[in-house]
Amino acid sequence: MLAIARTELAQIFRNRLVLVTSFVIPVAVSAFFLYRRDVFTEVASGGYIAAIVMFTVGAFGLYTSIVTTLAARRQNLFLKRLRSTAQSDAGILAGLVAPVTVLALVQLAGILIVFGLVAGRPDNPLLAVLAVLATVAMMLGLALATAGVTNSPEHAQVTTLPVSLGVIGVASWIGITGTEQLELVKRLLPGGAATELMLNAWNGGVALSDSLFLLAPTFAWVALAVLFASRMFRWEPRR
Amino acid sequence: MSTTPVIEVERLNLKYGDFHAVKDLSFEVRPGELYALLGTNGAGKTSTLETVEGHRVATSGTIRVFGRDPRDREAVRPRMGIMLQESGFSPDLTVRETVGLIGTLTRRTDSADRVIDVVDLTRKATTLVGQLSGGEKRRLDFATAIYGTPELIFLDEPTTGLDIQSRDHLWTAVDRMRENGTTVVLTTHYLEEAQQRADRVGLMHQGVFHHEGTVAELTRTLPAVIKFALETPAPAPPLPAVVEPDGSLRVETFELQKDLRLLLTWAEDHALDLRDLSAGPTRLDDVFRAIES
Repeated sequence: MLAIARTELAQIFRNRLVLVTSFVIPVAVSAFFLYRRDVFTEVASGGYIAAIVMFTVGAFGLYTSIVTTLAARRQNLFLKRLRSTAQSDAGILAGLVAPVTVLALVQLAGILIVFGLVAGRPDNPLLAVLAVLATVAMMLGLALATAGVTNSPEHAQVTTLPVSLGVIGVASWIGITGTEQLELVKRLLPGGAATELMLNAWNGGVALSDSLFLLAPTFAWVALAVLFASRMFRWEPRR
Repeated sequence: MSTTPVIEVERLNLKYGDFHAVKDLSFEVRPGELYALLGTNGAGKTSTLETVEGHRVATSGTIRVFGRDPRDREAVRPRMGIMLQESGFSPDLTVRETVGLIGTLTRRTDSADRVIDVVDLTRKATTLVGQLSGGEKRRLDFATAIYGTPELIFLDEPTTGLDIQSRDHLWTAVDRMRENGTTVVLTTHYLEEAQQRADRVGLMHQGVFHHEGTVAELTRTLPAVIKFALETPAPAPPLPAVVEPDGSLRVETFELQKDLRLLLTWAEDHALDLRDLSAGPTRLDDVFRAIES
C-alpha cells in the first residue's frame, strides 16, 4: 500500500491539472473566505466560514480529485495492472486515496489553524477535529461511490458536480439560516449534520452530547456510500 | 521437478449475459512447459487466460494455479508474472518507478535496473512511460512480468508491436527462464512463434478446444501440400492432384517425403520440369485456416 501511495504522490505533483484542482482552487477559495471574514461573519458566523472551508477542500481537494484519479487509473488499465500483483483490493484503494486524503487533511489543518489565529479559536477544537474527520470520511465514501459511475476523467467533471455543489450548498444554507427551521431535513442532507457539528464546535453554545449525536447522520452517509461503492465500483473499463 | 500441474482447469464456463464465451473447457499446464493458448478471433482465449490469471470470475468450473484459487492473490501472485495484452501503465511514472512499483507489489525480490536491462530499456529508465513508444511499453510490460524470475509467466500477445530485434531479445529472455524451469502460458497471433516454441497447444474456436496437443499432433490432422505446374502436354502425375484456378497442380499428402520422392522420380523419368515446385509440412496456419473455413 505504501509503495502505491508513494508513486501516487509523485503523480499528483507531476500532473498540473490535478495539482490545480486539488490544491490551488481549494486554497484560493479558502483564502478568499478568510480574507473577507468580516463580511461572512456578519452574514453568518465564524463557524460558517470554517464549515465552508471544510467542504470546499472536501469537495474539490478530496472528493473530485479521488473520483478523477480512480477514473483515470481505471481508464488506462492501471487498476487492472495493480490487481495483477499480490496486493489486495483494499490495499490498492487505500494506496490510491491515501496521498490525496492526507494532503486534504494537511490543507484543512493549515487553513483552519490560520483562521483560528486571525479570527479567534474555536470554542471546542476537538469537536472541530471530529467534524473534519467525519466530513473527510463521508467525502471519501461518496468519492468511491461516484467513481463507480464515472467512466473517465472527463466524465468526472460532470459526475462530481451534484455532490460537490450539493454539499457546499447545504453547508451555506445551514450556515446562514441555522437549524431552527427544517431541522430534520437539514441534518439528513449530505453534509448537513457535519456542518452543524462544525458550527457548534466553532461557535459553541450547544451541549456536547447534542453535538456528538450529529455524527450519526454523517456516518450513515458513509455507510450508504460504501454500500453503493461495493456494488458499483469497477476495476476495469466497460467493454 | 514436480509433475503436479501448475495450472488445472476443469469444465470452465464463462458467460456474458446470454453469450456463452467459454464452454466446458478443461486443460492443464505442466511444470516447465510452454503452453500456447491459440484461437480464432472471439474464440474465448483472452477470457480463459484472464480467468486463469484471476482477473475474472468463472461462471462455473474449477481453476487451480499452484493448487490454489488464482484469485487468492497473496498466495499465487508472488509465484506468477503477468504480461497483459494492453499495457495499463501510468503515463506520469518513469520506467524505473513503474518496474519498482509493480515488482514490489508482486512480493518478489529483484532489482528494477536488472530487469530494465534485460528488456534493453536502460537508456529509458528515467523516461516517463507516457513518452515511450508502443514497442517500448510492451518491453516494459515484459520487464514487470519477469521481475523476480517467477515460476510461471503469462504472456498475452507479447511480441505485438515489437521489431524483430526486440522479439529475438524477448524470446532469448524467455528461453533463459525456461532453462531454469519457468512455466510459460502464451497467447499470440504470430503462429510461427507458437509453432517454434510451444510444447503443447490448445487451439480454441467458438469457446471450445478444437484441438489440443503438441504441434506435431495438431499439424498431423491435416495433409501437407505439394504444388507444381507442368508444361502441356504432359502425362498424368503418379499422385492424385487437383488443378488449381491458375493451372497449377496441388497434391495433398500425409506422407510428404515419400510422395515428394515419388513425384521427383516420376518427373526425372519423364524428363519433365516441375515448375514453381513448393512442398512443406502442415503448419499451424493451415490448421487455423481449416478451422476458420
